[in-house]
Amino acid sequence: MIAPILGLICGVFIGVASKVVIPYGYSGYVAIAILACLDSVLGGIYAISQKQFDLKIFISGFFCNGILAVGLVLLGNQLNINLSIAAVVVYGSRIFNNFSQIRRFLLNKTQKQIIVVTEKEE
Amino acid sequence: MRKNHYLFALTLICVLLGMIIGIQYNTVKKQNDLAENQRLTELTATLKKVQEENEALQVHLDEKEKIIKDYESGQNYGATIENLQREMEQLRIFAGLTEVHGSGVIVTMNDSSTKNGGDSNAYLVHAEDILGVINELNLAGAEAVSINGKRIVGTSSISCAGSIVMVNGERVAAPFEILAVGDSDILQSALRFPGGVVDNLAPWGIEITIKKESDVVVLPYTQTVLWKAPALEQEVVG
Repeated sequence: MIAPILGLICGVFIGVASKVVIPYGYSGYVAIAILACLDSVLGGIYAISQKQFDLKIFISGFFCNGILAVGLVLLGNQLNINLSIAAVVVYGSRIFNNFSQIRRFLLNKTQKQIIVVTEKEE
Repeated sequence: MRKNHYLFALTLICVLLGMIIGIQYNTVKKQNDLAENQRLTELTATLKKVQEENEALQVHLDEKEKIIKDYESGQNYGATIENLQREMEQLRIFAGLTEVHGSGVIVTMNDSSTKNGGDSNAYLVHAEDILGVINELNLAGAEAVSINGKRIVGTSSISCAGSIVMVNGERVAAPFEILAVGDSDILQSALRFPGGVVDNLAPWGIEITIKKESDVVVLPYTQTVLWKAPALEQEVVG
């Protein structure tokens, strides 16, 4: 479980160090894409915890969610509706949801371990 | 083995996500810097403009000082007279003592022909309505204004006297023809803007037409001014 977190941190450093800058006007889309991808990653971790992880679903979800979010915001800009708010709300709530599920899973796991340990001691 | 497979994919994706986040961080940081830079260039432009204005004013001041020096020294009569004449010409235009012509608008105001009941006074053109129009015209930079040939000057009055209107103390009756010299587009839009003079008079059916003209002739102020103030014991004929 530590490897993905390390990977994330490494990625951030690589990104900052690369000095690559997104053209002006596109950063709003990238922000939404980041949110969507973050949601996918948390969803993936949750799926692993439930032993339902499917690589194809994970990879396709990661890219498709990002593209969909960007597309939605792009459409909103064309129609003069701020759809980025919708994307932020939906992906934001999903991130919280996924995170709370993962938290519960981790808490349950440690509790079980404690129970097992205490049972063994008895 | 399978779990490691998942972890590997997850790690790869996480690296990708991290890279995007890092790039986005770079972008946001650079944009903030750019915004500050933009403000800086804006301020620099403002400063430059103010400096140029200052220089122009300095040149103007130098000119005026030179003229004053000419006056004071009492020499160079030719230049002095020229200066005075030019100044007098400007003042005559300003005071409304000369005929002014140029592009402008002709505003015609007439009493309402509709009678929808109620106070019949409301359907007439009042002195206040004319004042409103004159006000807007002056605000829009009219150089010369006249009502039915009566030039509006600094001491002009527009007042109500029963069923007629007095301009400069003379009786004027409807239809009122207001001539104004100035930028015809600006003058027209000053009267026509939503909620402006024309809109306010529209409910009463008062007929108001605004016509842009390339050559409007505004006659000079023709009345005799008698200065009765004790400080000025002389007759000035304008």
